[in-house]
Amino acid sequence: MKLSISFILETLKNSIGAIPVTLKLTFVPFLIAAPIAFFLALAQVNKVRFWSRFSAGYVSLIRGTPAVVLVLLLYNTLPVRLSCFFKATGSSFNVYSSVQPIVYAYVIFTITAIAPLIEILRSAIASVNRGQLEAAYTIGMSAPQAYIRIILPQALVAAMPNLGNLIVALVKNTSLAFMMTVKDITQTAKLGAALNYKYTEAYIVILLLYVVICLVLEQICKLIERYLSRYKGFRTA
Amino acid sequence: MLKITDVHKAFGDNEVLKGVSIEVEKGDVVAVLGPSGSGKTTLLRSINFLERADKGRLQFDDIDVDLKNASKADIKKIRKKTAFVFQNYNLFANKTALQNVTEGLIIGRKVPKAEAAERAKKALDKVGLSERYDYYPGQLSGGQQQRVGIARAIAVNPDIILFDEPTSALDPELIGEVLNVMKELAKEGTTMIVVTHEMQFAQDVTNKVIFMDGGKVVEEGTPKDIFTHPKEERTKQFLRRVIPNYDYSI
Amino acid sequence: MFYIDIFFKHVWNILPYLKTTFLVAAITFLVSVLLGGLIASGMLGKNKPGQMLAKAYVNLMRCVPPIVLLFIVYYGAPYLVSSLFHKDINGLDAIYFAIISLSLLHGASFAEMMRGAYLAVGKGQEEAALSIGLTKWQAFYRIIFPQAFVVALPILGNSIIGLLKDGALAYSIGVVDITGRAQYLISMNLGGYVLETYLALALIYWILSSITQKAFGALERRLQKG
Repeated sequence: MKLSISFILETLKNSIGAIPVTLKLTFVPFLIAAPIAFFLALAQVNKVRFWSRFSAGYVSLIRGTPAVVLVLLLYNTLPVRLSCFFKATGSSFNVYSSVQPIVYAYVIFTITAIAPLIEILRSAIASVNRGQLEAAYTIGMSAPQAYIRIILPQALVAAMPNLGNLIVALVKNTSLAFMMTVKDITQTAKLGAALNYKYTEAYIVILLLYVVICLVLEQICKLIERYLSRYKGFRTA
Repeated sequence: MLKITDVHKAFGDNEVLKGVSIEVEKGDVVAVLGPSGSGKTTLLRSINFLERADKGRLQFDDIDVDLKNASKADIKKIRKKTAFVFQNYNLFANKTALQNVTEGLIIGRKVPKAEAAERAKKALDKVGLSERYDYYPGQLSGGQQQRVGIARAIAVNPDIILFDEPTSALDPELIGEVLNVMKELAKEGTTMIVVTHEMQFAQDVTNKVIFMDGGKVVEEGTPKDIFTHPKEERTKQFLRRVIPNYDYSI
Repeated sequence: MFYIDIFFKHVWNILPYLKTTFLVAAITFLVSVLLGGLIASGMLGKNKPGQMLAKAYVNLMRCVPPIVLLFIVYYGAPYLVSSLFHKDINGLDAIYFAIISLSLLHGASFAEMMRGAYLAVGKGQEEAALSIGLTKWQAFYRIIFPQAFVVALPILGNSIIGLLKDGALAYSIGVVDITGRAQYLISMNLGGYVLETYLALALIYWILSSITQKAFGALERRLQKG
């Protein structure tokens, strides 16, 4: 078996240039999904009538369906439906030329990221002692103040290990973006491979890059976790 | 100053409060005694709306509300006049001792930051924790945590402080430091309602004792009345059980 | 527009291919259990190089997107086999490549699960078993395993669902499971009824996942009662 080293280096160079796209595909959906998931998680913890059921159903549906099926479903139907919608409203907005594929990727990955985020935040919020909320009320905080100042900072610490795992899962999930013709690492390396018919080399490069990205992100998450949990600190006195 | 009338509360089928009424005057130190399950903690929590009573009326100075249907604004008013000290402290785990105290001033009462820090430090000094401003709750002993809890309560200058079994979660050797702080407050004329199992404290420090059992007030009076001349049989039984070598005929 | 009759027709048309989906999942599960057990014993063993190798493998696999591994195995394995054994496996059914890559991936996560469950049971149980004269193997299968199994159950349920879901990627190398079948139906309709077809597919997966989750939940409750 002979692997072409020069091709590997060439592909590596091209694919490294696509790392920002992969990172964007990870963090843009994550950041959009986080607040939505937080409110749905709160609804579930506090058993808010309609929303708590909605939230549970949403989680079950998204978690029970393969990511690739969701990508296929949404990517192949969203643009057409949007286009129909704009035509029906008489707008001259052209969906196909105006909306970049990466936007669909953002939307679709947001939809899929919300579900695991709900689960993580729900258990994290539930893990914070109920008394913290009561104490916040007795000193005159409103519910939003109590959640933002007291509950969320503590819940985040509880959620950090899971959030780290989720980030890694989201990074891996972005590899599906090639199906939406988004030029992330996978797509860039594949394009090179198709020209030279050197798929094995191309995929080894991709694998290496994902491993590096994940290991780096894992370390960053650990640092954040240490920073957030500084209040747990050393136990003296 | 504070009057609550005919409070009822049930958790499912379990009726915890069956029509309790108490009255507190300014400067009173009231002890609420009773076996566990008698409803005393629930009563205290209803006053601060940590528990929503099924029925009852609360009059606090010029505020007069129905416990069941009180509006958010009313609840906020009452909470501003009161402070609560929890059995398990409930200090904010993500805030330092000082921040735990300033939080109620800055957020709850809109006191400017500098003034809040000033008042918080004074409160912490008073409970003997001037060396521990920047410690997180996880770094403090139980007794120290509860003293921060008390500092958090007194810093907001409440009209009344509600103590929910403040020493029950403490190791025996740490109970004294907390009770001493409470004695000090009583001496200064702070109005307090204390749900407690510390009989000595109730006898020496309070000016009014309420004995509850089965969701009702069985008997109330001065510490002398209750401890030396209890009228009700249930009170006598309770005192015999909780006080070693108790002899009420003395 | 949504054609409900087409939707149901396609559910019906896809269902027979569950056979392939289940076959891939079942064999992957078995191989993953064996591989996972091997790696877990490597991680827990006293052999230092073995420990490092096992840990490195698990850490590596945690970072690999399933689709990338699938392609590496699909394109790389024939390379490797022909240069090592001088055999041509290019014509091999794609299902083998799917099973190999999914097993490599899930073997790692199964190993993590087994290690965690083993450690959760605690050293004392093994020591107690040895002290009453059980052999190491007897201690494992009579005392440790039954307890570790209960601990691992919730994660096991999720792992099986994950395995089932990752299997959906196999269509991309030509395996005709339910996802492959759905793709075929769409191409037969020249790209029509996309929504109906994919919704039918999603529904089937969702039902499978829900049943698995419910089943494991019920099993957990039963075993925990003792």
